[in-house]
Amino acid sequence: MASTAATRAAAAASKVVKPIFSRDLDEAKRRVRQLYRAWYREIPNTVAMFQLDITTRQGRDKVRELFDKNKHITDPRVIDMLVIKGKLELEETIHVWKQKTHVMRYFYETEEPRPTDFLSKFYRGHDP
Amino acid sequence: MLRLPVVSRSFLPAAITKGGAAATNNARTAATATAAASNLLEVFVDGKPVIVEAGTTVLQACEKAGMQIPRFCYHERLSVAGNCRMCLVEIEKVPKPVAACAMPVMKGWNILTNSEKTRKAREGVMEFLLANHPLDCPICDQGGECDLQDQSMQFGSDRSRFTEGKRAVEDKNIGPLIKTIMTRCIQCTRCVRFASEIAGVEDLGTTGRGNDLQIGTYVEKMFMSELSGNIIDICPVGALTSKPYAFTARPWETRKTESIDVLDAVGSNIVVSTRGGEVMRILPRLNEDINEEWISDKTRFAYDGLKRQRLTQPMVKNESGQLIPTTWEDVLTRVAGVLQGVKGNDVAAVVGGLVDAEALISLKDMLNRLNSDNLYTEEVFPMEGAGSDLRSNYLLNTGIVGIEEADMLLLVGTNPRYEAPLFNARIRKSWLHNELQVALVGKEVDLSYTYDYLGESPRILQEIASGTHPFSQVLAKAKHPVVVVGSSCLQRQDGAAIMAALSTITQNVLSGGVEKTWKVFNVLHRVASQVAALDLGYKPGVEAIRKNPPKVLFLLGADAGCITRQELTKDSIIIYQGHHGDVGAPMADIILPGAAYTEKCSTYVNTEGRAQQTRVAVTPPGMAREDWKIIRAISELAGVALPYDTVEEVRDRLYEVSPNLVQYDNVEEANYFKQANELYKAVNQAVLTEPLVPPQLTVKDFYMTDPISRASQTMAKCVKAVTEGAQAVDEPAIC
Amino acid sequence: MAEYANLVRRALGQIGGHGGVRGLLLQFFRVNDLKTGTLIGVDKYGNKYYEDKKHYFFGRHRWVIYTTEMNNKKTVWEVDGSMVPAEWHRWLHCMTDHPPTTHPPEPKKFLAEVHQFNVSGTPQQYVPYSTTRKKIHEWIPPKAGAQ
Repeated sequence: MASTAATRAAAAASKVVKPIFSRDLDEAKRRVRQLYRAWYREIPNTVAMFQLDITTRQGRDKVRELFDKNKHITDPRVIDMLVIKGKLELEETIHVWKQKTHVMRYFYETEEPRPTDFLSKFYRGHDP
Repeated sequence: MLRLPVVSRSFLPAAITKGGAAATNNARTAATATAAASNLLEVFVDGKPVIVEAGTTVLQACEKAGMQIPRFCYHERLSVAGNCRMCLVEIEKVPKPVAACAMPVMKGWNILTNSEKTRKAREGVMEFLLANHPLDCPICDQGGECDLQDQSMQFGSDRSRFTEGKRAVEDKNIGPLIKTIMTRCIQCTRCVRFASEIAGVEDLGTTGRGNDLQIGTYVEKMFMSELSGNIIDICPVGALTSKPYAFTARPWETRKTESIDVLDAVGSNIVVSTRGGEVMRILPRLNEDINEEWISDKTRFAYDGLKRQRLTQPMVKNESGQLIPTTWEDVLTRVAGVLQGVKGNDVAAVVGGLVDAEALISLKDMLNRLNSDNLYTEEVFPMEGAGSDLRSNYLLNTGIVGIEEADMLLLVGTNPRYEAPLFNARIRKSWLHNELQVALVGKEVDLSYTYDYLGESPRILQEIASGTHPFSQVLAKAKHPVVVVGSSCLQRQDGAAIMAALSTITQNVLSGGVEKTWKVFNVLHRVASQVAALDLGYKPGVEAIRKNPPKVLFLLGADAGCITRQELTKDSIIIYQGHHGDVGAPMADIILPGAAYTEKCSTYVNTEGRAQQTRVAVTPPGMAREDWKIIRAISELAGVALPYDTVEEVRDRLYEVSPNLVQYDNVEEANYFKQANELYKAVNQAVLTEPLVPPQLTVKDFYMTDPISRASQTMAKCVKAVTEGAQAVDEPAIC
Repeated sequence: MAEYANLVRRALGQIGGHGGVRGLLLQFFRVNDLKTGTLIGVDKYGNKYYEDKKHYFFGRHRWVIYTTEMNNKKTVWEVDGSMVPAEWHRWLHCMTDHPPTTHPPEPKKFLAEVHQFNVSGTPQQYVPYSTTRKKIHEWIPPKAGAQ
């Protein structure tokens, strides 16, 4: 009996999926904070380097907004993945692998939400 | 070309049908023999046993066994010619290969469909056929759907031994619809047989013998039939192709959508071929209950009307009275404002002939919510007596297939040849094979079959009803009599009296020896929307609008010109919703562009009461939208939002109102003739002396009857060719 | 001292050359530049063509001061390069040294009698028409007066 319980526990343990970096949510959050801090410090450089027509404040607000967009996520693996992507973006920004337009794309809404009610669907097109 | 095997025994000599080997046959299949089985015999197809009826041809037996025999001249719905020789098969212990299409099977035959001799025979026939067939497949319109192309790939030789010159034949001009490249003809004579058997016009024939045999019209003339387009389909090669479709598309480029035709009330099943958002052609789809595999020329060739005169943007009249394109937001707000600005009873709606059931129910629901019940159809139907309350009063109750069982048909004030060509083809089929007798009251017209002409006065109907006319005895003797009244003669002032007379005739017949389930009374409608509109409770006829002009008139595809601006008050506003700028649009103040039948998934009910669906083949052009959606959007802005957002929800609503409207491909029977007759007894109306004249008398009235066909250039050419001769519309030949 | 005298002389020259302080300011705000030179000619619309080879290097030595009204259009502020007619264009752009005042151009069919503005960006602009077949021919409503 005990042995079966042990195997079950082992099976449950083996079911725990392999973490990307963080073993728990706290660690993931720490990584997010690190990334946020890095971005926060990089913003004045970015604004200067790309000669953006925005203030540092606006840039930081945008960073905050983009982080807040994913604040509902609780899965550490997803958070890790997003952190990895954020780091890639940051690296591209620091090394000026991006151009001005790529940075400014964060500020323009390019995607309109699809209409849900009948009238806006009707105005929009044939069968959205 | 795959076709359903249909045993058409009537074409075969009686001696063969009655097969003399019944006794021995019984011994063989004694184990399963029943009384009916005495007529069965067993044959073998490549050693596989198959039980068939005596008189079945070898080809049909093979098809029953799942083996297709190559053929060119044989066609299920035509008589057997047996002149292409492509269907040669070897039969064990028979010295020569036999033509499978013409040879009835004998007991115990083993048909070898893939033996060396059979293959050799096919290869030889194919070599002879190709000897005089041009090798112009790359520029031939039949390329990709050519029987000769397919079968030469499958059964022909892989090389040619032919070094001589090829025969060339002069092309004939047989009208603006059919292009002939007679050099490609392989003399299968399918078109000749179609013309004389199905279409009933002896226009096509053969001249010459042997190598000089030619198909033609003897003298240069137009092939004048309302079903002429079908010879394009039955031609196995590219000798007869479609003129409007010439060099426009290849079959493998097109997307096929199975849909329904709405240009007449028959509801023929069609396939819409589209390419890049454009309808390229329309072909028939097999439906044994409605159109078999034929469609009328209007159905087939009026599609170019879908690309012309279209309403693509909402329009509003400005101060100077000019219609100016505008946006949906603007136009819907205006319409909603107009509807809110008047009392409910000052709003009226008139619906035309091409409107689908979804739009009809939306419009009715919206107007009812605005406290108006002024919903009218353009087509008139007498409301005195039983009116449209009893469904059996306005349906083709017998059904199109039912005509094949009938033995006596009385046509009243109709010309089915042009009002419903496929229905007429059914009558002709029954007249030809089932000895149906036809009688006609009304204007004398050419129906492509003979009939007893009773006269053109409606008084004759009353005489028949009262039993004083000699025809009433003929009708009483018939086992399966059918009365078909054209919807056009019910448009008259004395429509109710005619209905009453016909109802009495029906009742007299039913009280005689006719079986109780047999339906006698039929109405043949001319427009596709009428049955659905009456089912949904629209009032037929616009007389009430003339008497009591509304402030706001909503025309939903009303293009018959029943009501004009002069008949309304000066400040009344006309809203037109539809897909063509025809009669209704120029007099409107606000135009809402709708979708035509190839652009929406919607329900139509044919004259039998059979609900069918069209499918979306192309998107509506420009800013046009599906009709029920426009009405739904107006209703929301007018503050009476309809409770449905999707087409499924609209159909749920249709189901609530009339379940038969969403029971697709199912005919809901209606049988209230007795009650109708009781109600019609109360009708106290005298019949007029004017003769019953249907509006479409000759073939030139047939081509342009609705907004789509009126916009079609092909149909205009047809009218011109009919009036001025085929040479008038002759185009320079490209190839 | 001499420098100041020179400055004053140039200033007075500019004021005189543009017709007073008012004209000077107008010119300054119209083209953000002040130049004086020899008036070579005036075309029939009133555009004035100047030249000064002494003070300006090649390429800036010929210029035009646009008229204030041309073809019934106010052109005080809305000036446009296409206001220069063809005959002056060649002189102004140094294709030739002979102004049309001394060497009138040969009359040609293609030379417009009345010079036309550039219509790009206006509703009259040329739009290439489509040569492809229209898939849908829309209904054109009848003209209001016609019926």
